[in-house]
Amino acid sequence: MRLLVLVVLSIALMVVDARFAVLKPVRSQMGLVLMESYLITDLPQRLWQGVAGQFGSRTELIAENEKLRTEGLLLQGRLQKLAALTEQNVRLRELLNSSALVNEKVEVAELIGVDPNPFTHRILINKGERDGVFLGQPVLDARGLMGQVVELMPYTARVLLLTDTTHSIPVQINRNGLRAIASGTGNPERLELRHVADTADVKEGDLLVSSGMGQRFPAGYPVATVNEVIHDSGQPFAIVRAIPTAALNRSRYMLLVFTDSRSAEQRATDAAMAQEEADRRGISGAAAPVEGQTPAAGPQGTAPTAPAGAAPSAPVPATPAGVAPAVPSRPTVTAPAMPPAPAAPAATVPARPAATPVAPAQPRRE
Amino acid sequence: MASTRSKNGWFIWLTFAVGLLLSVSPMPQFMEVFRPMWLAMLLAFWSLSLPHKVGMTTAFLLGLAEDVLYGTLLGQNALILTLITFLVLSLQQRLRMFPMWQQSLVILVIFGIAQLIQLWLSALTGNRLPTLALVWSAVISALLWPWISFALRDLRKRLNIN
Repeated sequence: MRLLVLVVLSIALMVVDARFAVLKPVRSQMGLVLMESYLITDLPQRLWQGVAGQFGSRTELIAENEKLRTEGLLLQGRLQKLAALTEQNVRLRELLNSSALVNEKVEVAELIGVDPNPFTHRILINKGERDGVFLGQPVLDARGLMGQVVELMPYTARVLLLTDTTHSIPVQINRNGLRAIASGTGNPERLELRHVADTADVKEGDLLVSSGMGQRFPAGYPVATVNEVIHDSGQPFAIVRAIPTAALNRSRYMLLVFTDSRSAEQRATDAAMAQEEADRRGISGAAAPVEGQTPAAGPQGTAPTAPAGAAPSAPVPATPAGVAPAVPSRPTVTAPAMPPAPAAPAATVPARPAATPVAPAQPRRE
Repeated sequence: MASTRSKNGWFIWLTFAVGLLLSVSPMPQFMEVFRPMWLAMLLAFWSLSLPHKVGMTTAFLLGLAEDVLYGTLLGQNALILTLITFLVLSLQQRLRMFPMWQQSLVILVIFGIAQLIQLWLSALTGNRLPTLALVWSAVISALLWPWISFALRDLRKRLNIN
C-alpha cells in the first residue's frame, strides 16, 4: 500500500518536474544543503593542493612567477592592440548600422564537482543564483566555450558541457563563415557537425567559432577545431568531427559570461563610451608604453575600410573623421584631444564634422 | 529499550550521509560506470536488519536527495530506491536465512531490475543512456555486498542498534 502511494508520488513528481517550473525553487533549496557534499568530497583534493602550495619549493615558485610575468606582459601587449581594435570595430559596426557584443562582463567560477553519471557531461560550479548566474548562461574557459548553465541553485549551478549528447551549438567556420551546428557526441574530445553538405568547404584544422545564431551563446568565441572530414558517398552528408578547444575535462577555473539585453545600437554606443572612459583614465594614469602602439594599429586598420564602407551613404565626409579622431586622441595627452572623444560615440552624424578639423591636425603633430 | 534505540539511531543516518557522499565522490572517468549503488546497498542492509526503522519512506526521501545531487528529474531515483526497498522487504524473511553468496545473488537480481527501470526511465525522460553498461554497477554492488554487510553487521552489534 505504501509502495503504491510512494510510486505514484514519485511519478507525479517526475511529471511535474519535467513539465512545469513549480518544483524548481524546492529543488534549489534542497540543493543549497545537499551540494555541500560535493564540496566535502572535493575537500581531500583541496587540502592536498593547499599542502602542496605551502611546501612548494622556492625555485619552483620563482620559475612560475617568471612565467606568469612574461605571460602577463604578452597578454598586456595584445590587450593594447585590442583596445584600439575594439573601438575601431564598434565604429565600423556603427557605420554598417549593425552591432555585436564587444565588451562582455565575465566572472570567474570554480569547478566543484563532476556529475557522477558517466553518460552525461555536466559539471558543478561554485557560483549560483545569488551571484547573478542565470539559466542558459554561457561558460568559457581560457581556450574556448565550455557549455551553458542548465540548473540553478542558490550558491551553485550545473553546467551542461558542449560534448553532452543532448547539447548542440550553432557555429561558424572562422575561415569562410560557413554556418553549421555542432552537436555533442558523449565523447569529451569530440563534437560532430550535423548536416554539412558533401561539397561544403570544410578542411582539417578549421577553427569553429560560435556564430551567435541561437541568441544564447555570444558570437565569436572559439568552440572547436575540425580534425576529420569524411566524405562517404553512401552518406547524404559529410561527416565532420571536431575537437573542442576548451579543456572540457581538465579546466578547474572558468568564466561566466554576462551578456546584456540592451538593443544592439545601445550596446555599441555604451561600449564605445566605456572604452573612451577607460582610455581617458588610462591616459591620466600615465600608461606611457601602452599608448606607443595604439596609433600604429588604429589608422592602419581604419584608413582603407572606412571610405569603402561609407562610400554610398550620404554622410561620407563625416564618417572617416568620426573614426579618425578617437584613435589618435589617445596618444596625445594634450587638452585639445579631449573634446572630440565624447562626441564620436554619440552617433549623431552632425556632431562629427565639428570634430574633423581637430583630427587631422594631431597625427601630423605626432 | 526505547532509550537505546533513540541513542544510536544517529548511526543509521550517518551511514546514509556517508553513502550520499560516496555516491558523488570523484572517480576516474573510466571507473564511473562501475560506481557501486551505495545508497541502495545501505538501504537494503538496514531494511533487512531493522525493517521497523528503515522502510520505503526513508528510501523515498533519500532518493529525492540523490535526485537533487545528480540533477535528474525529482522522483526518478526516489522511485528506484523505493522499489529496491520494497523488493528487499518483501523477501526479507527469506533473505535473512540465506547464506551470504545467495544473498548476493538476490541483491544482484534486485539491483539489476532497478537499473533496468532506471535505464527505461531515463530513456523516457530523454536522457538517452547509450548502453546496458548501467548494469555493471549492480554487479559491483552485488560483489561488494558481503563485505558491506559484514562490516555493518559488526558495527551494528557493537553499537547495539536495534
